[in-house]
Amino acid sequence: MKLSAKDIASGLFLILIAAIGLWLNEDHALGTARRMGPGYMPMLVFWLQIALGVLVILVGLGSGPDPLERWTGLETGSLILAIIAGTVTYLVAPSISEFFTQTYNGVGLAMLVGFLVLCWAAGWRLLGYVCASLAFFSLVLEKGGLMLALIGTIGISAMADPDHRARPLGVLGIMIFLLALCWWIFIKELDIRVAVWPMQN
Amino acid sequence: MEIFANLAHGFSVALSFQNLLFALIGALIGTAIGVLPGIGPVATISLLLPITFGQPATTAIIMLAGIYYGAQYGGSTTAILLNLPGEVSSVVTTLEGYKMARNGRAGAALATSALGSFFAGSVATVVVAASGPLLTSVALSFGPADYFSLMLLGLIIAAVLAQGSVLKSIGMVVLGVALGLVGTDVQTGQQRFTFGIPELSDGISFVALAMGMFGIAEIILNLEKPEARSVLKTKVGQLWLTKEEWKRATPSVLRGTLVGTVLGILPGGGASLASFGSFMMERKMSRGRAMFGQGAIEGVAGPEAANNAAAQTSFIPLLTLGIPSNAVMALMVGALIIQGIQPGPRMVEAQPDLFWGLIASMWIGNVMLLVINLPMIGMWVKLLQVPYKFLYPSILVFCAIGAYSTNNNVFDVYTTVVFAVIGYMFNKLKMEPAPLLIGFVLGPMMEEHLRRAMLLSRGDPMVFIQRPISASMLAIAAVALLAMTLPNLRKGKEAAMAG
Repeated sequence: MKLSAKDIASGLFLILIAAIGLWLNEDHALGTARRMGPGYMPMLVFWLQIALGVLVILVGLGSGPDPLERWTGLETGSLILAIIAGTVTYLVAPSISEFFTQTYNGVGLAMLVGFLVLCWAAGWRLLGYVCASLAFFSLVLEKGGLMLALIGTIGISAMADPDHRARPLGVLGIMIFLLALCWWIFIKELDIRVAVWPMQN
Repeated sequence: MEIFANLAHGFSVALSFQNLLFALIGALIGTAIGVLPGIGPVATISLLLPITFGQPATTAIIMLAGIYYGAQYGGSTTAILLNLPGEVSSVVTTLEGYKMARNGRAGAALATSALGSFFAGSVATVVVAASGPLLTSVALSFGPADYFSLMLLGLIIAAVLAQGSVLKSIGMVVLGVALGLVGTDVQTGQQRFTFGIPELSDGISFVALAMGMFGIAEIILNLEKPEARSVLKTKVGQLWLTKEEWKRATPSVLRGTLVGTVLGILPGGGASLASFGSFMMERKMSRGRAMFGQGAIEGVAGPEAANNAAAQTSFIPLLTLGIPSNAVMALMVGALIIQGIQPGPRMVEAQPDLFWGLIASMWIGNVMLLVINLPMIGMWVKLLQVPYKFLYPSILVFCAIGAYSTNNNVFDVYTTVVFAVIGYMFNKLKMEPAPLLIGFVLGPMMEEHLRRAMLLSRGDPMVFIQRPISASMLAIAAVALLAMTLPNLRKGKEAAMAG
């Protein structure tokens, strides 16, 4: 079997995005070549993308064995579970608190929960913890202030490395160092407009 | 001669306290990330972009440029001392440089690398200065059809020279263009693909996309690789060369400078390609070629000069034509646009401070880097001892704050997360992200030029072939594509990429 599964998957991805794009583009006026409407360039681009996707798949049918990494049962399971957990959280969040109807807080919580669930499988742990830490940051930053957001971000991301999990004191050290560094660079020197501590709401 | 007056003006701009300070900061950061494996100029520049917004455009670009060519200096340090390339462009330096270190000539290798880079950097600075007014006058005769074809050529070459499958890279370019379509259509004011999200009406945040795909995804991928840090056993020794070594290294430096200058200008080219090209050349042509494999100084002198020259001349298409020739330049375009400057041939006239100031600053930066890399080398060796597990939380934190502070909106941080996942997936599928970034940056500009060209030609697509400049661009693009289908050339490229 000289299939390159990676190439075939890449081609499928390109085709999928282009197909979605063409479907979304139906609302846009095409215009003529002389007077292009908003839909003209997208049409050109997406059709080209489909053609390339097909070519990639065709070439991938013979470009040598290059299989995708096999997912263990646990990895597939936790991916599905994570998506379900994230969606459920997003739907349920507004009823938990007023907070989650504002801006993108509902999305943030859904992301946080989803990525943390993903960490159940060892293979996903790195991706899960790193992305969860960023989701936490976004969720907490505006109302909780920079310091709280950073504590959570550093803490969650540290879970990604087994050395850190074994030595929480080291993590504490990094936290203190980074909190001080960020305070100095971003609050004192650059004066970015963000709350440092939780706001009195 | 006008060029001297302009250069004088440039130096007066570059020598201001603020610009000197930021050139130094850029050089230091660049050397640091060059020395540290696992973080490169693309990730760093995307990380630091938001910090530059508060500065005037000239200062911002000076610092970012310093990071790029500084990284070329720093990357050679680990390559020579630890057989670990800090940067892709230092991979070839590990081959002969590490052997030299094993023979006790580490100091000579480091000195050659720094001095060769300095020479190349100086020459490249002159080339950039000369090219500006020259290319600008050529570019002013460009019509929209010519611009479109030139940008298309740039995209094709970027895809052809990217790692991995050319076909997939072209697909990535197109995907990047598609992502660039998100937002408000300038001509009609209609929202495209924004799903009603107000934050997307200006398009996907460039910084978030770059940080997600290049910064965060890289962190995750680095964490997946087990860290292999060899203990520094080789003594550095004296940082100077013997007379014999001088004689051997000099022609290599000259050849490397030439190779780097040319390959840097090529759209899609850059420091990595230049260093590979120079290495292959030295292996074929240098006097000491029999010594290759046992520590030949030519194998360090040539590539290190080449990568530095290329890092600087890769600014030429950006500054004179507004076309980014690689991912780093794409980030520079992003930085300029956010500062409110439209890159293009008018930029040399409209922003003389920026153009000439940057050129003067490049040379000053090279002087700084010579000092940073030679006498201060001990400091960088110490830095290498820091384990990655302490670095990545810092990088993550800076990414998060950086993404937020672009627009003071957490939506951009969420965007970063999404692109981190996408970037991770791309890596697993062997899809190259750099062509996507270039497509993302050039796409909107290409649409504008296409529209104008079609308007002027009343809908006739033959205009792209009828205009001579446009036709020649398209012809070169076609040749490049065809050339890549020839198995010999493809194998040659793969061999170079594999080191």
